[in-house]
Amino acid sequence: MLPRRTVLKSLALPVFARPLTGLRRSSQGARVELSAADLATLTAIAEVVLPSALGVDGRDLAVQQFAGWVRAYREGADMGHGYGASTLRRPSGPSPAARYPAQLAALDAAARAGGAPRFAALPMDARRRIIEQVLNEPRVARLPGQPTGANLVADFMGLYYASPEAWDLAYQRRIGRDRCRSLEGSGERPPRTEGVG
Amino acid sequence: MRQVHESDVVIIGGGITAAMVAEKLGELHPDWSVVVIEAGNRLFDDENRFEYRRRALDYGENVWPGDYIDDQGGTGIVSRTMAVGGSALHWGGVCNRFSEEDLRLQSLYGLAVDWPLEWTELERYYCEAERRLGVSGEPGPLPEDRRSEPYPMPPMPMTHNLIQLQAWAERTGIPFWTTPQAKNTVEGYGGRSICRRCNTCEICPTGARYSPDYTFKQLLARPTFALHDQTLVRRLVLDERTTRIAAARAVRQDGSGREIEYRAPRFVLAAGYCWSAHLLLLSATSRFPNGLANSSDHVGRYMTGHLAYQTTIDLDLEIYPGMNDQHSLISRQFFRCRPDQPFVRHDLRIWENAGGRGPELRDEAGMVLLGDALVERWRARTTRGTARVRGYFDTHPDRDSRLTLDAASKNRWGDPLPAIRHAADAGTRAREAATRAHLEGLFAKLAATHDGRMGRVGGLSYQDHPAGGCRMGTDPATSVTDSVGRTHDHDNLFVVGGPTLPTGGCTNSTLTFVALTLRTAEAI
Repeated sequence: MLPRRTVLKSLALPVFARPLTGLRRSSQGARVELSAADLATLTAIAEVVLPSALGVDGRDLAVQQFAGWVRAYREGADMGHGYGASTLRRPSGPSPAARYPAQLAALDAAARAGGAPRFAALPMDARRRIIEQVLNEPRVARLPGQPTGANLVADFMGLYYASPEAWDLAYQRRIGRDRCRSLEGSGERPPRTEGVG
Repeated sequence: MRQVHESDVVIIGGGITAAMVAEKLGELHPDWSVVVIEAGNRLFDDENRFEYRRRALDYGENVWPGDYIDDQGGTGIVSRTMAVGGSALHWGGVCNRFSEEDLRLQSLYGLAVDWPLEWTELERYYCEAERRLGVSGEPGPLPEDRRSEPYPMPPMPMTHNLIQLQAWAERTGIPFWTTPQAKNTVEGYGGRSICRRCNTCEICPTGARYSPDYTFKQLLARPTFALHDQTLVRRLVLDERTTRIAAARAVRQDGSGREIEYRAPRFVLAAGYCWSAHLLLLSATSRFPNGLANSSDHVGRYMTGHLAYQTTIDLDLEIYPGMNDQHSLISRQFFRCRPDQPFVRHDLRIWENAGGRGPELRDEAGMVLLGDALVERWRARTTRGTARVRGYFDTHPDRDSRLTLDAASKNRWGDPLPAIRHAADAGTRAREAATRAHLEGLFAKLAATHDGRMGRVGGLSYQDHPAGGCRMGTDPATSVTDSVGRTHDHDNLFVVGGPTLPTGGCTNSTLTFVALTLRTAEAI
């Protein structure tokens, strides 16, 4: 078990602590992409924070969807205004992912403090303890509606648990929230999910 | 050098009322040339709407990119949407009618003013509006809500959730039925697709929900119709010798700064509750120093709308959030108020809601939940359901509920922008506590029928569905237009839709704006 103080100290490491696996700016200006090493760390996070019913394929899909979200993020996008709203929202800011390298590096540093070469090499229990500490110091009260960059783990969890797939898993029904569906059969209970949960 | 454009009719504004008046004028007078002038862009890119929707869901981006003009805003409730289609690009498609009581507030209750037209006549135009917009709905059970024609399309099917909620709510003895909507429940009505429950009516990717751009695209096939977008009308110009409007002076917003003078024998102001009054005030002359159509000093006054109270109710019901979030139940029982009872009029709406049903990161003790533990706790909260309940209530405007020109805030052309300050009249303010108590009592009654736990009751901090500013009436001293929207001061200038409403009713107003507009079209 890692000493708590060591973990917290590791998490405070600066951005440049992970020079080889940091985010890469794509050729499309402000867009950024997660590296293979980042995805490996995310997969290791996913094994802890996502439901086991997803299995390996489901977890991989969640990681790929998060990476896709990061890749397609647009800085300076028109955020518009609500229906009838009097004020315009400011354009979107820099990619939240710009804040991830330091956090990814801190996870690896925490692993090294525990004797493992990187976060993904830690056993599940050790990863869980680190993740809990990441979510507690500073305290994340709730899952963000979409990634903000403030906390990689919370961002990853928030994106998955807001998905139609997660809602279906929780309700054990194929609701298909936010998916376009036929009007037919909408008066019935959504069909049960099969094989998960 | 100023370019001149001549036509038989100039329509200023490119929203839903502009689309409707242009369409109907094209049918009534097929030889008339009609030009619609819209300050914003045209967003005629159906093919991109699934992508806009996806980016709105995933990133919170604007569902209609570029549907506003940076320096064309205002203070107060001023919608930023400025594009071909107007606010109806974003609307949810709810097509409630007002009721006869809305037109007879003074006669029945001694409140506000009566509207200068009969209910039976308005009802005829409601039917026409429903046909043109393509409304799906079911008639309500109350005899006062009788209709002279059936809805053009069958109602949106109730989801499992709404079926549960209706059974629950009707235990109170209050009848509920589904809200009519301008959404296709059959394939092909008006050339549109059937609804596919995408849950994002603010941008309907399938085209099931009516949007004015569909009408404009059809109109553009006519040789007599022109749509000039990115063109801001800055002034209406009075004829030198008469009180008729001679021209509308505009400037291109495309970066060229090119000026265009639109000349026509007829002008229709279809710029919505804010920009219609704003343009009239901007167009002041030595003969009309307070603004055109404003010899009564009523332009920009009696800005109206309605307020609401709302809550959520946690229920012992099997609700699956997301089956069709935007579809709702309505009761019109409280559109009527017996004259011998304290006055309160309101609609009552119920939606499925995901409130309190989503994933939570922590348990009651504040401990982090991960993976299966998170889902297990989430599942425990799926065994009950949540209803959102809201009542829009009659909110009558004060004379000083007003739009004025804000000399301290100007657009790139140096024109002062609007400032709107909504104010309810003394009667509405005096009823405030009783209105809240009445609605809270109803919410509590609903909650009590099924082991419900009512959340906090909140009120809107702004007037929804804003209207007014050019109210219609029979007396030129106390109104801006007559009952068909013709301004008292200028017989070739018409105002259509929302601005002409003397009072804002107690339910969604778009269908009423359209019905009044269609009536105006016959008078032009």
